[in-house]
Amino acid sequence: MSILNYASREIQFKIVYYGPALCGKTTNLNYIHQRINPQNRGDLVSLATAAERTLFFDFLPLNAVVIKGFVTKFQLYTVPGQVIYNATRQLVLRSVDGLVFVADSQWEKMEENVESFKNLVDNLAKQNMSIDEVPCVLEYNKRDLSNIAPINYMEYVLNNRKKRLPSFEVISSTGQNVFATLNAVSQILLHKFSKQNVVPQTAALPVAIPAEPTRPEGQAAPV
Amino acid sequence: MNAIPVLTIQDVATLDGVLGDFLEKTEAELTVVIDRGGNVISQYGDMNLMEVTVIAALAAGSFAATRELARRIGEIEFNALYHQGNGNHMFMNSVDDDTIMITVFGSRTTVGLVRFYSGATAKSIAQILKSLQRAAHGFSFEAKDISAAPIFSDQ
Repeated sequence: MSILNYASREIQFKIVYYGPALCGKTTNLNYIHQRINPQNRGDLVSLATAAERTLFFDFLPLNAVVIKGFVTKFQLYTVPGQVIYNATRQLVLRSVDGLVFVADSQWEKMEENVESFKNLVDNLAKQNMSIDEVPCVLEYNKRDLSNIAPINYMEYVLNNRKKRLPSFEVISSTGQNVFATLNAVSQILLHKFSKQNVVPQTAALPVAIPAEPTRPEGQAAPV
Repeated sequence: MNAIPVLTIQDVATLDGVLGDFLEKTEAELTVVIDRGGNVISQYGDMNLMEVTVIAALAAGSFAATRELARRIGEIEFNALYHQGNGNHMFMNSVDDDTIMITVFGSRTTVGLVRFYSGATAKSIAQILKSLQRAAHGFSFEAKDISAAPIFSDQ
């Protein structure tokens, strides 16, 4: 949960990168850590296995001055994507202020994307939170690979609800749109606490969701 | 409209008073109060010892992880954890359902002394935090006060 400290004039927010195993959550944080001004970040802490799979979480603290007179601290976390680590995901989600759902664009990962999104919704519900209340953006990652689903199919599968989430085409290994995604969720999060409570317009993909796009046999049904 | 929970200057001074008294009695180096999500609520002592933000995230994770261990032996959670180093040590204890207190100390004191005083300190902090919840200070800002420029930029 966000906290404002008047003595130090600091506000803290927690943003969690969520998604299936090997979808690129840690790669997002690695890229941000490498490319952001070192004065605006702390150490990247990774609690990973010897094979560099996230075991507990990755953590990256960032600083910015975005609200007049206050230092704003954003704490970025990733969750472990592997199915067996659900208890850990619930722990990392505790007190979350903003979410980035990272989906793997490859056809064969679509089922895992859907499962992971459902798992996110379930885990939020356990904390009496709803995906419609928490600032959240979708990141369609690995758009440089050849075996990927088209964007309108991914929107149909993951973003086909009354309140559509802003979504971004991302290549986290090269950094394409990694910062755009982070900036979008940060802006939505900040505006949630503004007196006007107006969600800013982000550069969401101009994609129309088809009623029922053709999908290869055995592919995932929408969330 | 959503509001951000606020620690006023007076709240911080009250918490600092309790934590300062604790450090004086125990001769520990640093104490940090965090929520279980890893956010720092208050800190007091030698800030040069470590990056408090990172310690808060890791300590919250460590405390949460051992909860599973506790359940295996029929406990809801462990009320306190002690990490022993060669020169510096860390003691963590539960304040309430949402809050943890971390104390870093060296060879000037002992874990027994830290443990002894941490109980009463945790109770005082819990009372202060409860009164803050009742006061329910909230803060929200004007949309025009938020920078319209991208918050983070790719260097």
